[in-house]
Amino acid sequence: MNTRIQIRLNGKILALTVPPFKLLLDLLRDEIGLTGTKEGCGTGDCGACTVLLNSKPVNSCLVLSGELDGADIVTIEGLKIGPHLHPVQQAFVQEGGAQCGYCTPGMLMMTKSLLDENQNPTEEEIRFALSGNLCRCTGYAKIIQAVQTAAAELRKNEAGK
Amino acid sequence: MEELAVVGKSVTRVDAEEKVTGQTVYGYDLVLPGMLYGKALFSSRPHAIIKRINTEKAKNYPGVHAVITGADAPWIHGETIKDTPFLAQGKVRYVGEPIAAVAAVDEDTAQAAVALIEVEYEDLPAYFSPEQASKPGALAIHEDYPKYHKADFIVTSPLPNVCEHFKLRTGDVEQGFRKSDLVLEQRYRVPAIQHAAMEPHSAHAMVDDSGKLTVWVPNDAPFRVRTETAEALGLPPEKIRYINPYQGGGFGSKGGLKVERIAIALAYHTKGRPVRVKFNRQETFVSTSTRHGAIVRIKSGVNSDGTLVAREITIYWDAGAYSEKSATVCIRGSLPSPGPYRIPHVKVDGYAVYTNKPVAGAFRGYGIPQAAWACEQHMDDLAKRLRMDPLEFRLKNIFVDGDITYWGEELHNVGLKETLLKATEAIGWGKSGKWGKRGKKEKLDPKGFKIGKGFACISKPTRTPTTSNASVLVDAQGKVTIHAGTVEIGQGCGTMLSQVAAEELGVPIENTRMHPLDTDVIPFDSSTTSSRSTFHMGNAVRYAAIDAREQIAQMASVILQAPEEHLRFSDGKVFLKKDPHHAMTVGEVIRTQLAPDGVVRGNGSYTYELGKDVDPQTGHSDHASAFYMYATQAAEVAVDEETGRVRLLRVVAAHDVGKAINPLNCVAQVEGGLAMGIGAALHEELVVDNQGRVRNASFLDYHLVTSLDVPEMKTIIVECPAPDGPYGAKGLGEPGLAPTPAAIGNAVANALGIRIYDLPLTPERVYWAIQAATD
Repeated sequence: MNTRIQIRLNGKILALTVPPFKLLLDLLRDEIGLTGTKEGCGTGDCGACTVLLNSKPVNSCLVLSGELDGADIVTIEGLKIGPHLHPVQQAFVQEGGAQCGYCTPGMLMMTKSLLDENQNPTEEEIRFALSGNLCRCTGYAKIIQAVQTAAAELRKNEAGK
Repeated sequence: MEELAVVGKSVTRVDAEEKVTGQTVYGYDLVLPGMLYGKALFSSRPHAIIKRINTEKAKNYPGVHAVITGADAPWIHGETIKDTPFLAQGKVRYVGEPIAAVAAVDEDTAQAAVALIEVEYEDLPAYFSPEQASKPGALAIHEDYPKYHKADFIVTSPLPNVCEHFKLRTGDVEQGFRKSDLVLEQRYRVPAIQHAAMEPHSAHAMVDDSGKLTVWVPNDAPFRVRTETAEALGLPPEKIRYINPYQGGGFGSKGGLKVERIAIALAYHTKGRPVRVKFNRQETFVSTSTRHGAIVRIKSGVNSDGTLVAREITIYWDAGAYSEKSATVCIRGSLPSPGPYRIPHVKVDGYAVYTNKPVAGAFRGYGIPQAAWACEQHMDDLAKRLRMDPLEFRLKNIFVDGDITYWGEELHNVGLKETLLKATEAIGWGKSGKWGKRGKKEKLDPKGFKIGKGFACISKPTRTPTTSNASVLVDAQGKVTIHAGTVEIGQGCGTMLSQVAAEELGVPIENTRMHPLDTDVIPFDSSTTSSRSTFHMGNAVRYAAIDAREQIAQMASVILQAPEEHLRFSDGKVFLKKDPHHAMTVGEVIRTQLAPDGVVRGNGSYTYELGKDVDPQTGHSDHASAFYMYATQAAEVAVDEETGRVRLLRVVAAHDVGKAINPLNCVAQVEGGLAMGIGAALHEELVVDNQGRVRNASFLDYHLVTSLDVPEMKTIIVECPAPDGPYGAKGLGEPGLAPTPAAIGNAVANALGIRIYDLPLTPERVYWAIQAATD
């Protein structure tokens, strides 16, 4: 039995007919074809599949499509601002926050969520916010540095407004 | 020497932008037209004869295209010992071994059909420890081992289940022990851990009408796995093509034939349609590979002035159910296991032993971390008994330039001492403990905690001899395409090779790009393993770029009317050294002298020709490695005496990289290694129960290091150039995690005055060690 849902995905309205038990992760990757959101465990333990659902970060492997009618979803593919990298993306590039890059989309979405809430997080707040996003390559040092750089940039942009 | 333009600079990674925008296509993301979905049935028994398999129900399940068992894929593979069936042949040797597979219209259908396959087992005695499995009288896990096809260098043993016996014999250890003032013997243990790359394993395979097999898989050695596949299937290598999508981390796990062989076996039964097989996280934990668990017995004789006299080491490497890379891990991990020290009398026996556990294979560090856990803590305990400072004790014995190692090689360009001095200085060795930045921030109460510092050093060889080839194409717009078989596994090889090509051709790095890896297009490379790529492929790309530059210089000398040696390449232009205004772009030279759409192709090949395998009977070689990597790491810990919890306050890593082609990426490599080493030190262990089942095959139960677990990290890059390396570079990928657990172990012992011999240093283990010492 399929269900009809309407969602806003990266700013575009989509009307979909999907099995209600299909995972948001699979909906994005297999049905819509946006593979930027990664699958690392499928059990909500690694954060690689983090997307923003109504502005809150969620593990998309734990969200069912049936819950999504009317939802606003932002994935890594929707992070750029027009042709420009979002400051968090720019900071990850600049600071070397991505190595293999597989955890990166989830890290970026979690970072965006953190900085949307708190533009001046302490190092401990950053570590805590990212503690559900696993990375096996970087040891997190460059990621934390990138978040700090992005936060500074966002504060600068805010001050300039 | 002219100043380097881009080599040695921390340029931004060439793949960063596509990675932060989600555009990178990994193996797990790949979609092929018309593809079917494969799933495997895995053994639920550790050691059993398969009496019967019934696939009828699965075959009749709607949507199923193929159901296969070992009988449909009667192939055996193995890199050095051909012992591994594509699908179980008549018996299973571990819980998680693939027995049968299904290809269907979608993954859910395939999984449902797998559940309908019935297997009847007859259980056999199973072994879960290498010491147990190699006891005389133990049942052979591989009854046909004597008949298996093996590489020439394999040394067999009369002991049961030993698949490789490494021997090193130098001097006379018994005499050495008799002459020593102090003899100490200890036994250390390291459990199996899992690579846990963030991207789980997957492979896609297809067999076309001409019989050509194409495999899409992020494998770290596409040419080597092509050979292994060709040998197993009895095909010429040109009938096999490996295409590499991006790899979401590997650390040694994504090499050889793992998920690949299931996809390949299914592809022979799907009439030309491609098959995708994805392992989920649990399957990745259990059915790909692990790091070798190891038991290390170490005995040393030392004089009262601190001079090492003799060392005897026996290591049991737990190979798991199949040999995978066990033979070479045993050889290259056991060889330097006595540590980077001058020792006149050395005896090493390494045994790689089959057990009924998940298969152990290559893991970043290739045996060095296990040996270092034992050797470097043993060194501290020797120093304690000698009443010597561990630093002074090491300085007295460490490898320096001109030393002849116990395997018979004269060493040059040894940066070890510098790493040792810099790391110990940075941690404040010999000075009282500090609380470090994080300790203060967390407001840990110093009461109830004991502070300690420790350090450990290592040297690591690289696989030798090996070959890299490369081509560098320069087009009529001056754009450069690099054909190199090094796999981007996250380490940043594309950036490093782009820097090398840009340096030699004098073009902006933005004008270079890496061609995707495809064995039908790209020239041969041995592998992206063993920290070998910067040295070997760096050289090959450098030579290819020089070859292209010389061709362009020849053309330019005609137009600029100057001899080639008077020309300079910079900023995408060729000009006279004396008159930089007399210039042409590289593109212009090609357009006018070759053809409007001409392409110049430079070729380069590099083999470290002096390299020689170690002698199988003595373990000797006068050129065992193209270069050696040296490192010292140091740690400061606070141990909670009440709970046994080890709080890591600071870690320092000093690594001799020869020459940092990209300093930022070097630091990034080391930090990643440190985090992995911290995990291995404090939490990681793949727990196998007495039925052979992995009990923690998920990220919920297997504690990977998180952003909250890593302390303040300081990386010190030491540059002691290797004359044969590109710009002096050595390698760096592996050593980052090798000394970390031993450094932390030494810090814990320094804090508590208690030595703990087994990893990981969980609160429980540390707590009981404290209790045992107080009783």
